[in-house]
Amino acid sequence: MSMARRLLAKQRRLGSGWGEGIGLAYCLLLALAVLLPVVVVVLGAFVPAARLGLSSEQWVEGGEGWVSLKYFRYVLDLYSGPLLFSVGLAVFAVAGGLLLAVPAAYGLVRYPFPGSKLLEEVALLPLAVPGIAVAIALIQTYALIRGEWWFVGLGHLLYTVPLLLRTLLHALRGEGFELERAAATLGAGPWQRFRRVTWPRLRRPASLGCLITAAVSWGEFNASFLLATPVNQPFPAALYATYTSNSFAVSSAATTIFLAVILPLLIAVERLGRGDLLSMRQGA
Amino acid sequence: MNESRPAAPASASRPAALRRDAMGAERRPWLGVALCLPLGLFLVAVFLVPVAGLLPASLTATPGVLGRGLEAADGATLANYARALSPRGELAAFRNSFLLSASVALASLLLCLPPAWLLARRDFPGKGALRTVLALPLTFSGVIVGFLAILVLGRLGLLPTLLAALTGERLLAGSAYTLGGLAAAYVYFEVPRAVLTLEAAFRRLDPEVEEAAATLGAGPWQRLRRIWLPLSWPAVASTLAVTFAASMGSFGVALVLARRLSVVPLSIYTQYTGFLDSGLAAALCLLLAAVTLAANGLLRLAFRGRDYVYG
Repeated sequence: MSMARRLLAKQRRLGSGWGEGIGLAYCLLLALAVLLPVVVVVLGAFVPAARLGLSSEQWVEGGEGWVSLKYFRYVLDLYSGPLLFSVGLAVFAVAGGLLLAVPAAYGLVRYPFPGSKLLEEVALLPLAVPGIAVAIALIQTYALIRGEWWFVGLGHLLYTVPLLLRTLLHALRGEGFELERAAATLGAGPWQRFRRVTWPRLRRPASLGCLITAAVSWGEFNASFLLATPVNQPFPAALYATYTSNSFAVSSAATTIFLAVILPLLIAVERLGRGDLLSMRQGA
Repeated sequence: MNESRPAAPASASRPAALRRDAMGAERRPWLGVALCLPLGLFLVAVFLVPVAGLLPASLTATPGVLGRGLEAADGATLANYARALSPRGELAAFRNSFLLSASVALASLLLCLPPAWLLARRDFPGKGALRTVLALPLTFSGVIVGFLAILVLGRLGLLPTLLAALTGERLLAGSAYTLGGLAAAYVYFEVPRAVLTLEAAFRRLDPEVEEAAATLGAGPWQRLRRIWLPLSWPAVASTLAVTFAASMGSFGVALVLARRLSVVPLSIYTQYTGFLDSGLAAALCLLLAAVTLAANGLLRLAFRGRDYVYG
């Protein structure tokens, strides 16, 4: 067996065959194709369109260089409200998510009750129903509070809580009961056990879940667009507004601001918990 | 079922402190109920009640603006569903959505098999970076993907401009707004979904089987054909289901790109906000949800009991 292991270890390293060389080249090509539009956006945000010979603008300031921050200034002026709204929503989603998901995950794993499996299924269900359907259902049922910031926040929680809950459940189930059992034999009550034994070990998955929550909330479109009203929109909805009514450069600058927040979060999640990367998905 | 290790049966030999122990899950279910209560209330109020409310709404005749909808009528009617699925109604949107999603699911599966395989089974420098780049479109909502498609395939897009420099003709100009452009944009946001779903599944496959085959002298190609392909059909099925469901539900891309053609999520939006036809919109919502839930149900069958991901 050890020979086979060595053989496999050798084959796990790349470059042991021309087939894999082609495979890797193909992957790089795919990665380039994914990256290309993103690079175009970032370039388009910094380089004045007139320089690219693509200007449709009425006002082109004379004598400007290759790099300009004027589009960012424009976006920050125009969309400081939506930007702050979105930051607030992300904070709301993280805080609300922890309040809902941490006790629930602990209860579901440590004190299961009749119907706890069902509750778990229902909690994951919002991810399986198209976002537009849920958003329409929400504004139909709660037409009167449409546009309230916390209503939009509740809509975000619908998509972030399942992700946080799943991360926590996974961690709790993987850890086992031994330490808590030991604490119980030593006379620790449920609250003490949770605070002193369980929570310290949940901190890491919980932080990962919070990063994912913040990222999903920052980019969430369906709820942001449909539960809010045009007077007071979160940033993803404002992005759509720039796409329909602003120039390519302004849209690019707004998208670059979106990227500047999402990229560090994505890299952090890849580093901390590769397996949870898929959780960062946005309802497209 | 709930814990990874089953609790040891209470036996007379165990200390009394443990037998009275609240760890015995079944002994304090009320505590579990109390801890889950906030989440339960939240789900009922923000998810179950509104979604259930779609059913009576879909059974109600709504005139909409310009009398485009139905005559207001008393009692429940299936007329909204009939309109949703009639050729003069929204059947074209369903057909577009279905064909688009099915072909996009298949295309992204084929495109993403090699990277998923390499990420799961091989070590190489820059692997984390490759995964991060391929995962990037996950974080983009549909409208951003739509905007990126315009940048690359729009009338003044990058690709037509490059092709014009090469061939003298503006090939592909404005193709972002066609069905093909829509499909390309969908594939863009499906790439990470397919790569990561496949990678996770490939990782779950037992390496010992491969080790055994390797000791018996099977080469890489033989191992792929005789071991991995037969073992990885659940991965393939789940990838198809995840990507299909994501495409069916995608709203933002079509909102930015679709001009003449429509897909179901866009029809829902147009009917609800444009024609104020909430009955038809509700019927479309439920039909669409049924399709994506069915895809997820198939996924579950393929993964009986194992961890699976929703699309």
